[in-house]
Amino acid sequence: MKTIQEIINEVLDNRGKPKLNNINSDSHLRDDIGFDSLDLAELTVRIEAEYDKDVFEDGLVFTVKEIEQKLNINE
Amino acid sequence: MNKVFLIDRLSELRITYDRLILDLNEAKTYKKYIKTDSYYEILLNILLTLIIEKEIILLDDDFSEEEIIALIGSANLKSFTEDIRDHLQIKNLDHLIDVISHVSNDWKITLFTSGTTGAPKKVSHSFKNITRFVKISEKQSNSIWGFAYNPTHIAGIQVFLQALLNKNPIVRLFNLNSDLLFNEIIDHKVSHISATPTFYRLMVPTKYICPSVLRITFGGERFDVSTLNHLKSSFPNAKMNNIYASTEAGSLLVSDGDLFTLNSTNERLFKIFENELYICQDFLGFSDEIMVKNGWYATGDLVEIVENNPIRFRFVSRKNEMINVGGYKVNPAEVEETIRSITGVKDVVVFSKLNSVLGSTVCCYIVLDRVSLSEKFIRSELQKKLQEYKIPRLMKFVDSIEMTRTGKVKR
Repeated sequence: MKTIQEIINEVLDNRGKPKLNNINSDSHLRDDIGFDSLDLAELTVRIEAEYDKDVFEDGLVFTVKEIEQKLNINE
Repeated sequence: MNKVFLIDRLSELRITYDRLILDLNEAKTYKKYIKTDSYYEILLNILLTLIIEKEIILLDDDFSEEEIIALIGSANLKSFTEDIRDHLQIKNLDHLIDVISHVSNDWKITLFTSGTTGAPKKVSHSFKNITRFVKISEKQSNSIWGFAYNPTHIAGIQVFLQALLNKNPIVRLFNLNSDLLFNEIIDHKVSHISATPTFYRLMVPTKYICPSVLRITFGGERFDVSTLNHLKSSFPNAKMNNIYASTEAGSLLVSDGDLFTLNSTNERLFKIFENELYICQDFLGFSDEIMVKNGWYATGDLVEIVENNPIRFRFVSRKNEMINVGGYKVNPAEVEETIRSITGVKDVVVFSKLNSVLGSTVCCYIVLDRVSLSEKFIRSELQKKLQEYKIPRLMKFVDSIEMTRTGKVKR
């Protein structure tokens, strides 16, 4: 399965933004990675396609760690 | 008097009303078409056209060159700039307000919105129409407005005029990162914010608390009760409501919670027929592309009547194909035509999918014509031709459309 970091880079690539190789659990989607609302929307779509879960269903989360928690991914 | 007009941290601007008046008086040229990412330039030019009584046409800053040529015939916007000499000089803010409030009925502001056929449609409003919901009163004199809309869209224009006509400051909140956003609200003691549910969704959860905010208004998308509940802890003193408006008609109704009421002042201007809301044509701006039948305009918004006498209703869904992406309307037919125009694409179907961030997103299935095109290639082609929010977030390549054409796909 693709990691969250890989999916984040897919989204960046699709928007013509440079991929990042320093994404870690504390990375903040908006402030560190620079995602806007369209990027976040695409992120949910891709995560749902891969993990079959809508991570933003109960409200938005903003760090990679929070997403991993929602998906029960063990670090 | 050093009353502040606009604070835009992103552009590092702090403009007083005195400076605004100076710039208006010194203006030597008038631009008929405005396409810029500068808030100040947009607002300044709107006011200038009100003073010289000439039409202004607002273009979204992210329209591609192709889109602009399709809309107005030329991408050379500079060719539409005219010299203006000896125009009326504004003495002070009261004078400015007086002048613009008495602008002739011929003045028009023209905006673009997604149409029901392929291309975006043009809608024009008179000053009276576009200020229909503006409240000018003593009570408003101390308001400080958070500007959270796109300034080339109808909601943004209405917030701008509401603030200006009450001599209030405007604090730009659109497209700021979350720390800066909350710092601006807190530092400048913003009292009123009007924004889309998507904008608010992206603000929460947060540790910040903003006691200065007294009024939070939702607009542009279907009301979102769960976001409203999240906002209450960060905005403990704010009353919240929902405005129903459209580019075609401007602001129309304000809700109480998620319910709208038709009362003696407005009931003859609306009707509900087969669960769809209709607006009396008196409310509409000018457009060649708004279909009016027997004096009524079908909004395409489906409602559920909750009470009668007076009629109280809530909005349920859109009737037709338009996809609402974070407040921006997308016509799937326009996106389909554009994708189909890419060499190597045989067929495509565009549909919406519910999305927790934006309300809905645009998705598509593509059939290729015996070639191999990557998703990345198609996206880069679309980025030249379409505004970003219209580009499908999900793209899937399929063998044929017939099997999958099920209209809107909802989860």
